[in-house]
Amino acid sequence: MRLLVVEDEPKIARIVAEALRSDHYDVAVVGNGEDGFFRVSAEVFDLVVLDVMLPGRSGFEILQALRQQHVHTPVLILTARDSVDDRVVGLDLGADDYLVKPFAIPELLARIRALLRRGRPSDVLRLKAADLELDVVARRAMRGQRPLDLTVREFDLLEYLLRHQGHLVSREMLAHDVWKEPRRATPIDNVIDVQMTRLRRKVDAAGAPRLIHTVRGVGFVLREDEP
Amino acid sequence: MTRFAPSIRLRLTGWYSLVLFLMLVVYASATYFAVRHEFFEQLEDDMHEDFEAARGLPADARYQTRIARSEDKIREQMSEILVVLVVGLPLVVALAGAGGYVLARRALMPIDHLATEARRITAERLHDRLSATNPDDEIGRLTAVINDTLARLDSSFAQLRRFTADASHELRTPLAALRGLGETTLRQTRTPDEYKDAIGSMLEEVDRLTHLVDTLLRLSYGDAGTVRLSPQTIDLGDLARDVASSLAILAEERNQSLDVEASEPIKATVDRLVLREAVTNVIDNAIKYSPNGSRIRIQVHGTRDRAVLEVADEGTGVAPELRDRIFDRFFRIDEGRSRQSGGTGLGLSIAKWAVEVNGGRVSVEGGTAGGSVFRIDLPRAAWKEEPV
Repeated sequence: MRLLVVEDEPKIARIVAEALRSDHYDVAVVGNGEDGFFRVSAEVFDLVVLDVMLPGRSGFEILQALRQQHVHTPVLILTARDSVDDRVVGLDLGADDYLVKPFAIPELLARIRALLRRGRPSDVLRLKAADLELDVVARRAMRGQRPLDLTVREFDLLEYLLRHQGHLVSREMLAHDVWKEPRRATPIDNVIDVQMTRLRRKVDAAGAPRLIHTVRGVGFVLREDEP
Repeated sequence: MTRFAPSIRLRLTGWYSLVLFLMLVVYASATYFAVRHEFFEQLEDDMHEDFEAARGLPADARYQTRIARSEDKIREQMSEILVVLVVGLPLVVALAGAGGYVLARRALMPIDHLATEARRITAERLHDRLSATNPDDEIGRLTAVINDTLARLDSSFAQLRRFTADASHELRTPLAALRGLGETTLRQTRTPDEYKDAIGSMLEEVDRLTHLVDTLLRLSYGDAGTVRLSPQTIDLGDLARDVASSLAILAEERNQSLDVEASEPIKATVDRLVLREAVTNVIDNAIKYSPNGSRIRIQVHGTRDRAVLEVADEGTGVAPELRDRIFDRFFRIDEGRSRQSGGTGLGLSIAKWAVEVNGGRVSVEGGTAGGSVFRIDLPRAAWKEEPV
């Protein structure tokens, strides 16, 4: 998978590129609008991460030019401005998703995964990690031979963690995708933490190797080995 | 704009003199003609008398009796009067105008005085007030109005200053923690686990900062009035049940019971998401500050034109003198405790903003059996089904 990152802030460009490379993507980075415009016009990428405020050409201009040339590469926009107008403009111009700075890297990675997966049948109905098994249709969960008695919320949460298996999941993502909250707030963070503790008690009961891990300051991850 | 704009004093004197002049002209002409008429009538009467006297003379065909009186004297008198009027009238008007000009200056002096005083009052000296010589006259009332405005300005400035000071303090705390963590971690070589721990801890502070900045930004959008609402008519009972069920797990952890009492639909036209945040913050607040095992009651009721949502807890309550300030930004009753629970000190401010932007009020009172009652009071919407 070849990705292009158009971002003028060197630190952010480096961090994003590094995170993407560690997820095994092939990443090209350009630092201004002109170069960005040139690269997307000349080469084929699977996805473009586009900053809006760029020297030279703005991200919106690049996006507009791209769509006028009927190039339908998925584009994820990064914007520092938390205004509805910017998002609307971006999405109207044909962006596929947007993230507001400061964003969490796990969330960026999750969004990119989702965009790249789009259009392909991805609805796996049986999810597995080690001896944990989830039947999404029957809404049944088993850890080895032991059936897990989960509430609706706990099941949704576990399903989400399994679908992002091996990847970090931030509280932001959970609030948005599992709790369907429009924005993250302190009360919801507390709810997530309590819910996670309870889920972990059920899934990682005594004896079995731990599957759900907390990564301090970042979020949670479900994986077989210790992070 | 270089239009000629004379001072109030000059205009006042000008108008006053003009009106006086016109009145005097009318009065003088009336007097003049009345006197003239009187004189001629007198002359006529005198001639009549002469005529009667003449009739008494012995008749003699050789004589013809003619009676005559000179009008010269009258004409002379009349022209004297005219001169007096024509010369005197402008003189009187001029004198009166000069007097008026002096009087107007005296009358307007308090305003000049007020202007001089007001000029001294700047943003830094907003606590100064204007003085009035006589508080009951017009100027006194004007002074009172200006002083009221100044008092309001003063309090908003004070609030702003306090907010800026608080905000920078709140922002500095995580920044200091970040810096300290980075510096102490780098001081010596550590194990990977220790690095992980330090970085995680720094990320937590970053999270706190991000959250704080987001919240401040939202409040400032709110202040600037640039928030677009999408109002819809909802049932407050539904909203209360929705929020209660999403926060129930927090109450459960502390063995608290969280009950919603809403017997009939109470509708209000609000932006659901914005109001939901207010209700969430108020209920979360009740859970946080109530003892374990206590009961939190959410009651929804209404009058003919008000829709009310009340959250009653069995916590320590809020002292009456703090009840207004509890909605202030960064106000905390117990600094240490709420900081530990991860609050920003902005939850209730957001709630207040979210309720007010929906046309309602939020207040806190003491409960009948201790604790406090937070009341969200909104205009009630007419009962109708929303078109789907």
